[in-house]
Amino acid sequence: MVKVEEYKLPQHNISSEKFFQPTRLYLPLAQHTGKPSQPLVRKGDYVEEAQLIASQDGLISTCLHSPSKGRVVDIDEFNHPVLKRAKAIIIECDNQPKNYSLRKDIDSLSKLELLDIIKKSGIVGMGGAAFPTYVKLLPPKSIDTLIINGCECEPYLASDYRLMVEKLEGIFKGIEIIYKILEPKTIFFCIEDNKPEAIKKLNLLINTKKFKLPFISLRVLKTFYPQGGEKQLIYSVTKRRVPSSKLPFDVGCLVHNVATCFAIYEAVYWDKPLIERLVSFVGDALVSPKNLWIKIGTSLKELKEKGIINFKFEPKKIICGGPMMGIALESLDYPVLKGSGGFLFLSKEVDLKEELPCIRCARCVDACPMGLLPLEYAKRVKAGDYDKLQEFNIKDCIECGCCAYICPSNIPLVHYIKIGKRYVTNS
Amino acid sequence: MSLIVSSSPHLKSKLTTPYLMRQVIVGLVPVVIASIVFFNYRAILLISICTLTCVFTEEIIFKIRKKRQSQRDFSAFLTGLLLALILPPLTSWYAAVLGSVFAIAIVKHIFGGLGSNIFNPALMARAFLMAAYPKMLTSFCKPLSYDVISQATPLALRKFNFIITPIYKLFIGNVSGSLGETSALAILIGGIYILVRKIADWRIPLSLLLTVTGISSIFYFVNPNNGSVFFHLFSGGLLLGAFFMATDPVTTPVTKIGRYIFGIGCGILIMVIRYFSGLPEGVMYAILFMNMCTPLINRYTSPLPFGVNRR
Repeated sequence: MVKVEEYKLPQHNISSEKFFQPTRLYLPLAQHTGKPSQPLVRKGDYVEEAQLIASQDGLISTCLHSPSKGRVVDIDEFNHPVLKRAKAIIIECDNQPKNYSLRKDIDSLSKLELLDIIKKSGIVGMGGAAFPTYVKLLPPKSIDTLIINGCECEPYLASDYRLMVEKLEGIFKGIEIIYKILEPKTIFFCIEDNKPEAIKKLNLLINTKKFKLPFISLRVLKTFYPQGGEKQLIYSVTKRRVPSSKLPFDVGCLVHNVATCFAIYEAVYWDKPLIERLVSFVGDALVSPKNLWIKIGTSLKELKEKGIINFKFEPKKIICGGPMMGIALESLDYPVLKGSGGFLFLSKEVDLKEELPCIRCARCVDACPMGLLPLEYAKRVKAGDYDKLQEFNIKDCIECGCCAYICPSNIPLVHYIKIGKRYVTNS
Repeated sequence: MSLIVSSSPHLKSKLTTPYLMRQVIVGLVPVVIASIVFFNYRAILLISICTLTCVFTEEIIFKIRKKRQSQRDFSAFLTGLLLALILPPLTSWYAAVLGSVFAIAIVKHIFGGLGSNIFNPALMARAFLMAAYPKMLTSFCKPLSYDVISQATPLALRKFNFIITPIYKLFIGNVSGSLGETSALAILIGGIYILVRKIADWRIPLSLLLTVTGISSIFYFVNPNNGSVFFHLFSGGLLLGAFFMATDPVTTPVTKIGRYIFGIGCGILIMVIRYFSGLPEGVMYAILFMNMCTPLINRYTSPLPFGVNRR
């Protein structure tokens, strides 16, 4: 665990704006963990906003909806931040906004009906991993602790924070729905102490007792990275340790991101599938950082061309996600996905410093939240000694980046670990 | 627009290896000042010879090994400085040169250079000189004096003449001994500096000093002629060793438990040598011995991953 430079200002204080008039949307079929969705439309089809355009395929998968009214111009390979190239539905938009109406019978909905709505809304974990939410809400064991993750421990990003400041009631309505489905004994709303305005609002809201959440309590955690990691957060709050290669429900916990709760609220109350989200556009290359409500599938290139994001300096690095775990992109031709909380534009050369010999200072060992020996991985991978990697539990690594962040010799430890992991998986 | 694509993380702490080395050198400044105060031109001479020879030797080896390093890491300078500080003031120039070359060429680079050596280069070089010039390395002169009047160190006085040097003299450093090890005050200032700045890990010095405290208080209780706790803490190379030699990251364990074991092991060995061997002082051999055990300690104290229980 490390204390990283936060770079949360000024984007923490910038109110969200809306950009809902894209001309083209690129919607990869694989925006989630699990099997890609199956397209239900063909080239040339005309689709409505919120229309189902790709269906769930298999148990761990989810569906996809059209974020806008328009015509399907193609179903073809397109850039994907994680998969590099992946099949995507490309839609030429009409930009006629749809009006959503409030559902009347919310209180009378049963657990199964609620789950069905969530399943059919294509909601995934919006903190980054994009695991289908309805699967998480059907745990094989009973859950006694529900943890709402408002930590946003990645530096720079501010989308979850803005959501908490601006849409807290919606988030709480979402939590109510999750509570109804899971009936946990306790709910912890977790937030780090670097988000004062959200903490103030949270305290006020919890004290009004407006919501039917009897066991909710606020946990203000000391800021450190990677607090928002599922296993780290569960440990911080409950002191329970999720065993290696096990999932949170094995210790009776479940973690949901605040943005996911808000998406659940919109799906249940407004019958609106997951087609837009709040995204932070940050970094020193931008004229000013922005928090934008944006349609899923909008490309960065279009945002740039329409002047929604403006560069002060030419970016040297564009990152999908936060600086610690995000993926460096090759161009602006990438779409916003369901799981992307932010994009980072850096103009200064942030890495590629000369790699110096490891002095075995063990700062990486002290920083590793998973209790591993990162220096050993770098040494073995460099020497081609892959057989030893498993002995050092390389698969437990969550690639949080603490080791490489702290390393005084600029050793790209995560890079070596990724190579090593691939080798271990393939053999 | 040409973009850099590389693995995460895309953020980097400002900490660098050359910075760490420079900070250790800063920590040694009070020690260097004390050595110049007490041993005058001899200190300046030995420090210059050792640091220059070390840096020069490393340059030559980089040429031979065809290693291009754009960033100077100051580690050779640090080795030279540490070596000078643990040599007796009367060490001749050729012994200092030989020791420096040995430290860099043999102890450090034969094993693969920075980060790959098993033994602390400065300590190993001193051990080598001890074998090569036993007389020279065990003759000490009086501090604050230009004459070559040899005088036994406080530890030798205790062992062979049963004289206990007063604590305040040891604390200030007005006693005979190696250049940088006489003044406990100067070492404490520098040592605490590197611990507070988190340049060195506190686990090894703490466990080492506590072990020495524990053992020496028992022996003092049995027989006051064994020397008090403070006598043992402030005499010989103990403090310099604890703060600046046993904290060398390269040759000490990487695991937290391992670092405690290392410190405790050093402490026990130091006291065993001081009490039961033919030598008055044992810091050097104790740390070198524990350096040798480091891979073993690492192996048996390797941490369990998060969420795994020891069976």
